[in-house]
Amino acid sequence: MPEVAIQTQSLTRRFGNLTAVDGIDLQVTAGQFFGFLGPNGAGKSTTIKILTGLLAPTSGTIQLLGVDFATNPLEVKRQIGVVPEGLGLFDRLTGSEYLKFVGRMYGLDRATTQRRSEELLDFMQLADRPKTLIADYSHGMQKKLALAAAVIHGPRILFLDEPFEGVDALAAGALKALLARMTERGTTIFLTSHVLEIVERLCSHVAIIHKGRLVAQGSLEELRAGIAGEAGSKTTLEQIFLSIVGQDGTERPQLEELSWLM
Amino acid sequence: MADVMRSGSAFEQIRLVAGLRWRILRNSLRRKNNRLDLIGLIFTGFFSGIFVLGLCFAFYAGGYAFLSRGRLEWLAFLFWGIFLFWQIFPIFVAGFGANFEFRTLLRFPLSLGAFYIIGLAYGFADFSSLASVCWLLSMTVGAAVAKPGVLPAMLLVVALFMLFNVTLERLISSWLERLFSRRRTRELFLGIFILSMVSLNFLAPLMQRYGTTARPAFFRLLPYFAWLPPSLAGRAVAAVTQLHPGAFLISFAALLLYVALFSALPWRRFSSQYGGEELSETAAPVRAAVRPITTTDDGLDRLSLLSPQVAAIVRKEFRYLTRNGFAYLTLLLPPILILIFSMNFSGSHPTVGGKGVSADLFFPGMMAYLILILMAPAYNSFAYEGRGIQVYFTAPLRFRDVLLGKNLILVSVLSVEIALSLAMLAWRVGLPSPHMLVATCAAVIFTIVGQLTIANWSSISFPRKMEFGQMRGQRQSGMAVLVAFASQILLGGISALILFTGSWTGDLWLPAEVFVFLAAAAVGGYFASLDALTNLAERKKELLIEALCR
Repeated sequence: MPEVAIQTQSLTRRFGNLTAVDGIDLQVTAGQFFGFLGPNGAGKSTTIKILTGLLAPTSGTIQLLGVDFATNPLEVKRQIGVVPEGLGLFDRLTGSEYLKFVGRMYGLDRATTQRRSEELLDFMQLADRPKTLIADYSHGMQKKLALAAAVIHGPRILFLDEPFEGVDALAAGALKALLARMTERGTTIFLTSHVLEIVERLCSHVAIIHKGRLVAQGSLEELRAGIAGEAGSKTTLEQIFLSIVGQDGTERPQLEELSWLM
Repeated sequence: MADVMRSGSAFEQIRLVAGLRWRILRNSLRRKNNRLDLIGLIFTGFFSGIFVLGLCFAFYAGGYAFLSRGRLEWLAFLFWGIFLFWQIFPIFVAGFGANFEFRTLLRFPLSLGAFYIIGLAYGFADFSSLASVCWLLSMTVGAAVAKPGVLPAMLLVVALFMLFNVTLERLISSWLERLFSRRRTRELFLGIFILSMVSLNFLAPLMQRYGTTARPAFFRLLPYFAWLPPSLAGRAVAAVTQLHPGAFLISFAALLLYVALFSALPWRRFSSQYGGEELSETAAPVRAAVRPITTTDDGLDRLSLLSPQVAAIVRKEFRYLTRNGFAYLTLLLPPILILIFSMNFSGSHPTVGGKGVSADLFFPGMMAYLILILMAPAYNSFAYEGRGIQVYFTAPLRFRDVLLGKNLILVSVLSVEIALSLAMLAWRVGLPSPHMLVATCAAVIFTIVGQLTIANWSSISFPRKMEFGQMRGQRQSGMAVLVAFASQILLGGISALILFTGSWTGDLWLPAEVFVFLAAAAVGGYFASLDALTNLAERKKELLIEALCR
């Protein structure tokens, strides 16, 4: 039986009257490259924040690698790496200083932190500006650094919120290769992205959240099989996504209402 | 063709921007923390109101008295006072005022004229302008009561004087904005500014020493001031009162010239902004150096006694401190202040003669002053974390480690500062008696550690993001300021009372004994509070992240 990396039960989060995450039961097996999709405001970022400890759930449970997050948060946090929304960088440090800081925060010894930060800076092509403050990095460079910081301690689960947004094609290629390699070696990757092509190319499994509820979950093949008829086998992820979140017909903008623009 | 009306009036656009600012304020009050912040602001506003109202009476009385008693040459002093406040006060409080970025309006179809008028109109919306307008009006009423015939001319002069001040103030602030568009320049100028403000304190002892020789030189300069706008305004009103229309016209025309000049200069600045001037923070791209990996081994771990997490936070805090020109500069202030105060009050300095203060009074007083200055940032200690705050909640560490790391660096800085100040004190004034030295040192531990506990609670409960080395748009959380104020008064008051018990009871070592006990209790309380604060941080993490990740 494969190990379960992420498991939530009836995970719910309310903000006043708004239920942003509504009783989600998520299950991600270890080693999966898992794509978490949904339209804007569906609850993706809220879910990832709850799963990484940035937000407390209103109710429900989370188990990461079999450990309950509520009762043993430190043990869980040692096993995960996060690229949060907004990246979470201390922008008055240099890239090297930041990686060393994060390495030590995860309890790595100084020599290991030093070695890994140098290797990561080199891999991310950030090593040639050792004295530049993060505040002066471009957005793409900051994103690469945030990714480097998320993996410095060799996490078993990696949470990535829109990891490829603003990253150039060259770096994106290298990152994809790195992430694919990590999943081969057993790391679970939980990723949100609006670029469905990327998710389709990288992810083996996908979940779709809509209005706070989990409306689909499974491998791409399973989702395709869920689409009725023979067309199912040829369907792209974009078509699956649109057919699921837009199926009641109310989601698509009604162009007729904007007649004054046409 | 877009369905846009040719142009809305500038007045309509000003009204819309006013509405926007009002809605921003109203919507911000939906959050509990912002409501608490408002309470702090109302509290401050109340005292500011008393200050403005008090001076309104003073300017009314001044205007009335100078006109009714024929002391017309003194009118210029009233205008000078208002002019200096209007121009200098905004620079002092630039760090605390809320910022509204007018350039964001440029995405709308706004004419240059409307942009300029909106910019000027909002020049009237800050505290210094409102207060100055109130004082000018009070002065006008006072003058009109004394001599009703002077009212039309007075109104004309005051209107022109207001226009001159608002254009000059907008010009100065737009220059400052341009100057401060780069971080390094910002920090450098901020440093120079603060040092120059501090050095004003040297004026009193310098005046005592050189005042008599400098006075004639000052009086020789006075005639040149007569052609500056405040003097011109005063002379114009005086000329009307003395029924000298020619003199009035000359002063009025000169004032008008100033207004024209200072309206044209901001027009140029506003035109550049309107034309898309980009005051970017980002450094110009440079060619990447050939890249050998830089091995920057930190050497031996000097913080090996601490856990890796606490040591990492101490290192990070130290780096932040050394890169924040503003914070760095506050470290220079205490020894300078000791020097200044010792020049003003100490008995050993030749300039102060009989006003000497003994080292037994000077030492605790200076320590209280140091703590007042250096502890203030601790009440909003996450101000500069920005989005990095998220790391504290995703990394495997207890929040007590974060608080410990931050407090450790602050205590280290305070220790160095106190040692430096003590050395300066010993040189300038002399050391206090042993019982006072021990009592004050224990009192320092008691107040610092006591305040740290409260400050940690305040930092978690009332966080507010601040930008590194930036003056504009930086305002502390109102509640954090109130908490800091209250705890400084409480702990300072307790300490002062205990210090005096020594002389009241005749037992000179009693304060030292009490403070040693209190210091031990404060240290115990501090460590006991860390776990409770860790739980509080966990409960408040959403508030912290939201406030700092904006």
